[in-house]
Amino acid sequence: MDFSVIHGNLAYLLWGSWPDGPLGGAALTALLSIGSALASAALGLLLGVMLAMSCGRLKTALILGLGFFRAIPVLMLIFWTYFLLPIAFGIDVPGILSVMCALSLIGGAYLAHSVCAGIRGIGRGQWQAGLSLGFSRLNVLRYIVLPQALRMMLPSFINQWVSLIKDTSLAYIVGVGELSFLAAQVNSRTMVYPAEIFLFVGAIYFTLCSALDVMARQLGKRYRSATHSH
Amino acid sequence: MVLIVALQRQHRFFLWSPIMMFELLRPEYLFWLFKGFLLTLQIGLVVIPAATLLGFLATLAAGSAWRPVAWLATGLVAVLRNSPLLVQLFFWYFGAPALLPDAVREWLNITQSVSLPGGLSLPWPSYEFLCGVLGLTLYSAAFVSEEIRAGMQGVPRTQQHAAEALGMRPWQIFRYVIAPQALRIALPLLMGQYMNIVKNSSLTMAIGVMELSYASRQVETVSFKTFQAFGVATLLYVLIIAVLEAMALLVQHRLPVFGTRR
Repeated sequence: MDFSVIHGNLAYLLWGSWPDGPLGGAALTALLSIGSALASAALGLLLGVMLAMSCGRLKTALILGLGFFRAIPVLMLIFWTYFLLPIAFGIDVPGILSVMCALSLIGGAYLAHSVCAGIRGIGRGQWQAGLSLGFSRLNVLRYIVLPQALRMMLPSFINQWVSLIKDTSLAYIVGVGELSFLAAQVNSRTMVYPAEIFLFVGAIYFTLCSALDVMARQLGKRYRSATHSH
Repeated sequence: MVLIVALQRQHRFFLWSPIMMFELLRPEYLFWLFKGFLLTLQIGLVVIPAATLLGFLATLAAGSAWRPVAWLATGLVAVLRNSPLLVQLFFWYFGAPALLPDAVREWLNITQSVSLPGGLSLPWPSYEFLCGVLGLTLYSAAFVSEEIRAGMQGVPRTQQHAAEALGMRPWQIFRYVIAPQALRIALPLLMGQYMNIVKNSSLTMAIGVMELSYASRQVETVSFKTFQAFGVATLLYVLIIAVLEAMALLVQHRLPVFGTRR
């Protein structure tokens, strides 16, 4: 094991050729993760509320649509967005945006079900109390149900973000210069210490993901003890 | 060998027209996609049992009374779960051979077939396929082991105590009391993981395994029929997942969970 290859390429792996060139590496992975995390949370919240509040045909359509995004591999969806977005909008969409779009759609589809379950988990009494106080349905949702449901859903949001960080590595396949892509680039340029390079890169991802993972477990524990004490 | 798909999309704007969207794929392209589909199925059929077995062993190891074994298993599961499959595949494909002794590496590269007793010989799978299956199995086993653990934790403690009171041996308690109940709780979760295995098998294209996603990219590059190539591949993935989903429903119907929900 010889980690000098890491030392020589550390800056490149961490932020690409920035500030002289485009941002890349771990910094771009972080950017991609944060962007898709926010977008998938917003999308998941919207779709989850729709799923919980809708009925009949709209509900069936939503379930089928969400099921589709949960059934196809992330890689396949990245192909679709990468090739279709430019055609749909007639402009050149940067690769990073199409990857972000694919990750948000998948993340949103998974989160929608947890949001829906969270809303269902709030007892009927809360709804009835809110309505009898003269709140509109939307305001009951906004001020009474969601604040309670979100606290319960936080661990599943964080778990979704963990798999999101891992999925940003798929941007490699369409040539976005994030951490995995630069690692493969450094590997094919040096060709000497592949094990060291990928161990190091794996360790960066591991640090990011397990920090979030530990947070999710702590929150889950705190929530469980909070409900038991009531 | 390794497929790097950094490609230009610009020229596709000019080639794309509404008419092309509805043209069918030529039979030879469909055949490529079908071959990819078969390889995806093959990966699934190898990885699902292997990951289940390994995941079960990891659960046992993590619960072992011998501390170092328990820590090692827990640590390995955490590392495998919290790093991307793509990086793990690269590690097994590029990194691991560099760590192996030369003789083993040569044997892996040269071996073309395995002779079986009775003069039969099986073609030895490609190096890419072996690495893909190994990486996917280890990654999935970590997730499977968490689901099995969840299943075992779902069995009430009182079941264990009751079995002990009846004078059953530890092995009997596991075999006749804990395992059947844990399996019923874990089965829906496990089916979810099996679907993930099929979906994640698409990542092996990055190390050159010619499965369904690889084939769809290949057809797309040669024929320029983006919609049809990705469309057929997407439908085939949805088909596999739908079959697994139906199996999951059937299993859940056949094995209702008694006594765990009060």
